[in-house]
Amino acid sequence: MYIDPTTGSLVLQLLAAGLLSMVAMVSRVREAFKSFFRMLVPRRRR
Amino acid sequence: MSWQAVEGSFRDPSGFVYCRDATLYRQVNKVFGKQFEAFITSGLYDELTREGLLVPHTQVGLELSATADAYAVLQPERIAFISYPYEWSFGQLKDAALLTLDIQERALSKGFTLRDSSAYNVQFHGGRPVFIDTLSFEPLEEGKPWPAYKQFCEHFLLPLTLMSKRDIRCGSLLRTYVDGIPLDFGSRLLPARSWASLSSVLHLHLHAWAQGRYAGAAVSSAAKGKSMSRTALVRLIQNLKSAVAGLSWNPAGTEWAEYTSDNNYSEEAARSKRALVLGHLAGSGARTVWDLGANTGEYSRAAREVTPQVISFDVDPAAVERNYRRVRANSETGILPLLLDLTNPSPAQGWAGRERLSLAERGPADALLALALVHHLAIGHNLPLDRIAQYLSRLGRLLIIEFVPKTDSQVARLLLSRPDIFPGYTKEGFETAFQREYEIKGMSRVADSERWLYCMTSRHFAVD
Repeated sequence: MYIDPTTGSLVLQLLAAGLLSMVAMVSRVREAFKSFFRMLVPRRRR
Repeated sequence: MSWQAVEGSFRDPSGFVYCRDATLYRQVNKVFGKQFEAFITSGLYDELTREGLLVPHTQVGLELSATADAYAVLQPERIAFISYPYEWSFGQLKDAALLTLDIQERALSKGFTLRDSSAYNVQFHGGRPVFIDTLSFEPLEEGKPWPAYKQFCEHFLLPLTLMSKRDIRCGSLLRTYVDGIPLDFGSRLLPARSWASLSSVLHLHLHAWAQGRYAGAAVSSAAKGKSMSRTALVRLIQNLKSAVAGLSWNPAGTEWAEYTSDNNYSEEAARSKRALVLGHLAGSGARTVWDLGANTGEYSRAAREVTPQVISFDVDPAAVERNYRRVRANSETGILPLLLDLTNPSPAQGWAGRERLSLAERGPADALLALALVHHLAIGHNLPLDRIAQYLSRLGRLLIIEFVPKTDSQVARLLLSRPDIFPGYTKEGFETAFQREYEIKGMSRVADSERWLYCMTSRHFAVD
């Protein structure tokens, strides 16, 4: 490494990684819910 | 055999670029030998060059090295014209940013990472951006964050966000801040609505805050033993990618954006001018043409029919952006649109004023086109004709220049709101001024107009 990544930038990346993981988890759960309800709705209609 | 270092590649201790007998080489120093070997054998180099993302090289013998410290010597494919981020349009900077992130994503998948993410690592070659720094890759140390994250934000994300959300002219800040726009400064310039975007908040505003908060703190104590997985790194890169991809700018409403459709040429005049330009160029044998004041590149494309490389300069960000979009949309090669204010051209700058070359140092071009330009310089910017002739004579060997007289409606428009203090702006005055620096080879009147087209050769290079 020949450029200074700076401490603030490294710490922020750790924070960003946590936040983005959370966002990814929330969107996965949301998708799971969506597909679950999509599965239910056609059955009721039938 | 003597060699000459290429300024701008001396900051990285892993190697440097130099010229020997007019051939360009990159030396890999012994200190970086292991990392370079790992990069080559990983297949990443092959993948990136195959996809046209990284400039290819040939490995040559160590007898061509510059110093005894050489591990390997590479001969990279030569880039026709070196341009700098402050000369790029919005779309060019955005494409360069996406290229850098694409390369980092591919590198991560092969267990490598980019050591730096400078915008100067990208050049435009064959109509598209290409990464030029072969020594930017090193094996990924699991758990470590991306060391080039801050540099990426300062070189790419922040300038693009400012250009998109504040004002397109913020791009010119890259000329002052050659190491990237400082995050704290850029964060203050961004509009309030930037706080509504998660990416802007995270990568720019909070990033700027963290710089201040942890200034002077050691990494080990601030990070408290936490590490960053490869998945988290990939997620960060993907988020940066979507942030960059989501930025846009509509190139309209600037002074010159509509010039091509808002000029006073009749069809016959335009046809005649095109034929005259092509006639002079075709017979000249010119291989590089600089089209000064190219607007959206109409005559650059005409010139491209008879020359392999045209650099299409204009002062207007919208015109350059439209020109670049045309290049990309039609996969045009040999035309490079760039931003240039000829009244204040790119200077030599960086360390010792030698790291980044001035416009003149990157020449001379074989031929210059200065079409419908001289009246803007002479009347619009009060530049005396002899000074215009002096500067142009050092930029290119051949000059194809259009003289637009005061009776022309475009010149009359320039004089609408100001007194005519230009008694010397006449066809005779123009010829006298230019004959001091040039030998006039030919002149013709553009049909169905009062304009004249001249072809001249610079005395500056004839003396050399």
